Amino acid sequence: MTDISSDLLALITTLKMAAVTTVILLIIGTPLAWYLAKWQSRFKVFFEAVVALPLVLPPTVLGFYLLLAFSPSSLPGQIWQSATGSQLAFSFSAIVIGSVLYSLPFVVQPLQKAFEQLGDQHLEAAAMLGAGPIDRFFSIVLPLTKASFITATALGFAHTVGEFGVVLMIGGNIPGETRVLSIALFDHVESFNYANAHLLSAGLLIASLLLLSFVYLLGNNFTSKQHRPTKL
Amino acid sequence: MSTMTKSNIISSQQNHLSSTQATIDNSDDAALSELTLAFKLAFNHFEITSNQSIRISAITGIYGDSGSGKSTLLRVIAGLEHRAKGQLSLNGKSLQNSENKCFIKAENRQIGLVFQDSRLFPHLSVYGNLAYGAKRQTNHKLTIEKVLTLTQLTKLQHQNVTQLSGGEKQRVSIARALLAEPKLLLLDEPFSALDKTTKSQMLTILKAIQQQLQLPMLYVSHSLSELQYIADQLVVVSAGKISPSAPIHQAIHDLNSLGETSPKTSLSLIIAEHLPDYGLTRLSLPIAQGSNHSIYLPILEQSNDQRLIGQLLPCIIYARDISISTTKPEHSSIVNHLSANIIAIQHSKTNALVTLETGEQKFYAQISLWSAIRMELTTQARVFIQFKANAVHSYHNTEQTIHA
Repeated sequence: MTDISSDLLALITTLKMAAVTTVILLIIGTPLAWYLAKWQSRFKVFFEAVVALPLVLPPTVLGFYLLLAFSPSSLPGQIWQSATGSQLAFSFSAIVIGSVLYSLPFVVQPLQKAFEQLGDQHLEAAAMLGAGPIDRFFSIVLPLTKASFITATALGFAHTVGEFGVVLMIGGNIPGETRVLSIALFDHVESFNYANAHLLSAGLLIASLLLLSFVYLLGNNFTSKQHRPTKL
Repeated sequence: MSTMTKSNIISSQQNHLSSTQATIDNSDDAALSELTLAFKLAFNHFEITSNQSIRISAITGIYGDSGSGKSTLLRVIAGLEHRAKGQLSLNGKSLQNSENKCFIKAENRQIGLVFQDSRLFPHLSVYGNLAYGAKRQTNHKLTIEKVLTLTQLTKLQHQNVTQLSGGEKQRVSIARALLAEPKLLLLDEPFSALDKTTKSQMLTILKAIQQQLQLPMLYVSHSLSELQYIADQLVVVSAGKISPSAPIHQAIHDLNSLGETSPKTSLSLIIAEHLPDYGLTRLSLPIAQGSNHSIYLPILEQSNDQRLIGQLLPCIIYARDISISTTKPEHSSIVNHLSANIIAIQHSKTNALVTLETGEQKFYAQISLWSAIRMELTTQARVFIQFKANAVHSYHNTEQTIHA
């Protein structure tokens, strides 16, 4: 396989991993952020710390423990194997699970902050007009925190694309399965293939920059358009 | 206006809750809500208890100082306080019963709530906010167009709600609540942030809406004069305790004897005639009060409007503005003087609160202790009370804004 086509495969794997991870993150991150925003308990700080852990922890630490957990000899690995019939470690599913944990704070934190700022006022007003909880989420919460959802989606996606340590530990380097861009880049550097390394690095740099600019642009537009609830 | 006897209310609150519920179920009167309140709520060193039923026919006012628990009371009725313990029912239908863990959620109670801070949805237009309430109910007796007219919002319907003035916001808030077609509308100090002119306009609009839609309302305020203008019954909340509801004038007079800081006379007078040449409007005591005395107040604006003649005007006269004379004050600039009998004198450190009666109408006069002693006032004595035209206060807004 040529370098270019293997890099292309790595790009596709990366995008697939980031997309699947982001969707999962939005599905589990939204209720998690909601409960963290509404929950009033002294245990809350502990859960906030757990969510924030990937921000400070070396990714290899997370990857190491996940590797142990995913091995066929440990319980989570066994459950996975008996349920799906295939091994969890060194699979696409493994790097998705790893990425979900690794990028969790990037999705949960902006959403939690948005939900906290939103407060209960509009939700109570909506309830008094007959809107149930699910209805209130889609008719009030989502439109009023749209900017934060876009930020959370973009940050979660971009951070997953840039992941290295966790994938290295639990994914191995299987083309088309777990070989992502950051791993491919590492390979190129190790084999002194600087031309391809430049291509990937510059590509990732520019793509990330564009994505973040897009996020900030949207963020600015929303905050100027979307008025904060004003008091009388 | 239907006035119910106090004994009715009291008898229905005595433990035979189920039998009263049965009778209410039979009389399916949409214009009459009977609220049975029995709850105990405690959190953060704060406790609110009630064990009585409130019968709401038009607008029942809830009065209390800030922090007395009146807003919490509304939130409990609305279903926004999950920690409230006890029983609560509306029109015989249980909303909440801690004993069998029943709790009807706010969205299913068919109760509307207008918040002090209008809480309009900033991502929706005026029309969008109204449609939000309309979309989520099934009666469809009211159309958005009709409510826009009632609340005078037709011209503003496409506006962004963040660009509205305070009064406009509260009108949208009321309109939105009306379109959810609640069985009972709760209003939590809806106009407290508005200036006096806007406030009296709003009160006039709200009163007209109530009369048109026959929707029972509970109106919370810390302003007695506002409540006196809008409500026919009053419930007093004090330190977490809720008084039985009483007719508005009686309830205000009851507060006087409880040491209210500014005692006042509360009465409804019939608008008799306008005297533009003298800048006065003449009112008369209702015949039922057994006296045909006239009371003058500064002329109501646009008073050439004959529509007001014959209408009842709720008025307040502060006790500090009424003076007492033992002889008929014939050589005085003060326009209002009536003969009255003293029925009680209540002394305090610096002054005396004198309760007087003319016919069946009570008046309250606050005079200095010195005057009370010097004039040798005693109960049963026949005296004259006098007060300036300017001392007669009313929230009435004569700009007839509603023609819906």
